[in-house]
Amino acid sequence: MIEFVNVVKKYEHDVTAIDNVNLKIDKGEFVFLVGPSGSGKSTFLRLLIKEDEPTSGKILVDGKDITRLKKKEIPFLRRKIGFVFQDFRLLYDRTVEENIIFALRVIEASEREIKSQLKSVLQMVGLNGKEKFYPNQLSGGEQQRVALARALATKPPILIADEPTGNLDPRTAEEIFKTLQEINARGTTILVVTHAKDIVDKMNKRVIALDHGKIIKDEARGVY
Amino acid sequence: MTTNTYLIKEGYDNLNKHGSKTISTMLIICATMLILGIFIMILQNVNSNVKTLRLEQGLQAFIDDKATDEDISYMEDELWLVDGVSQIDYMTKAEAYEDAKNQFKGQDYFLEGLENLDIFPASFIVKFNNIEEADRIKTEVEKIDGIYKVKYNEDTINSVVSISKIANGFLLGVGIVLLVVSVFIISNTIKLAVYSNKREIFIMRYIGATNSFIVKPFIVEGAIMGLVSALISFVIISIVYIYIYAGLNNSLALGVFKLMPYSAMWYQILGAYIILGLFIGIFGSAVSLKKYLTA
Repeated sequence: MIEFVNVVKKYEHDVTAIDNVNLKIDKGEFVFLVGPSGSGKSTFLRLLIKEDEPTSGKILVDGKDITRLKKKEIPFLRRKIGFVFQDFRLLYDRTVEENIIFALRVIEASEREIKSQLKSVLQMVGLNGKEKFYPNQLSGGEQQRVALARALATKPPILIADEPTGNLDPRTAEEIFKTLQEINARGTTILVVTHAKDIVDKMNKRVIALDHGKIIKDEARGVY
Repeated sequence: MTTNTYLIKEGYDNLNKHGSKTISTMLIICATMLILGIFIMILQNVNSNVKTLRLEQGLQAFIDDKATDEDISYMEDELWLVDGVSQIDYMTKAEAYEDAKNQFKGQDYFLEGLENLDIFPASFIVKFNNIEEADRIKTEVEKIDGIYKVKYNEDTINSVVSISKIANGFLLGVGIVLLVVSVFIISNTIKLAVYSNKREIFIMRYIGATNSFIVKPFIVEGAIMGLVSALISFVIISIVYIYIYAGLNNSLALGVFKLMPYSAMWYQILGAYIILGLFIGIFGSAVSLKKYLTA
């Protein structure tokens, strides 16, 4: 599903953010990407959604080398990748359902798709009955669920979560990870960048550790 | 709701969201459009008067007293052969006397008794469509046998033509300046709108919005501002013109200058305003959005 082949990303003044990274993430995998601040995690994600270009190497998403994509093809790459942020990035002047519909409008979904997907994702993330609430009326965990629902509404085969529980208490964090696991069980490939050591250790999933732009660990059932 | 309906609605919602900014922008656009409209109306009137003058003015070719009817008929044929001539009227001696009487209306007592003296020569009034050809036509008419003098009002024609040229040039200059100002104002407003929608745009990009999807609501916002400003300006300028027309048209203050009736120009003004409003709105938005089109 995702493949990095000899990927190098250098910034000005010869700062190497990604240093000859090779990795492959298969369809349906659940992967944790861990590492200290400045280890290259953010650059890794930016390269994956083509917000940045690698200095050299190839990045394949769904079999397609995205380094060769034309500018106008980029939105269609991003439709394959749902993105969840640490700070939720919700639209606070819109209700839960409007936030989700917003994503469906962006991909120019039909009215029929909008209606069915809205119901489906609300159920998937456990927000039934909260559709008319505004984000500020919800708890942090619920807001992150809205963000999850928005990311999933467009049915992306890949879901990236960048520190999804960074702003949440441990119990709520655990619930979010449980939901992520359920989403993964339906076939979505999931890549989670996190510092939540306890959860990573507990979940027994593949763990890729980055440091100074290099992969220092890649274990199928790893710990932080 | 189709995607396009949704995007138009978003553009309209943006206008409401930025209410006071929208109103102040439209006021400025209206002001520039009104100034432009005034110039367009002045120019239309100048051009219409020049056109009338061009049509009315002709040259007068005086016929030798000795010319027989046969000669006159020959001269008329020759005149028709001159390139550019559109109308020929024959003025008899008696008509020439009447014409003189008309010209000296009120003081025509000194013409009394002259009608039988045959001192006013017969002539042809030769008209043409293109004033720029007047000199050539004059030279050719002078060459015709039996015509001893050709007169035309060079000074009046030339000064009117040059006034009209200056007015056209001035309008073009003013128009360009006002257009640039309007585009700048709209683009600034849209820039602020984009800034206040930064969060939406950021999220849209991550979800996979195409550039046109992101840009369309802002283009709609600009277009609506331009169009509404155009319509408001049109209503104001129409009312003002109708009042001026009613008050001034029959007044002596304008001399020979005739104001065009409103009915002959409203559609041109409306058309120009709509095109201008849409252009300012769409182009102004596009200018400010250009830098946001990076993927």
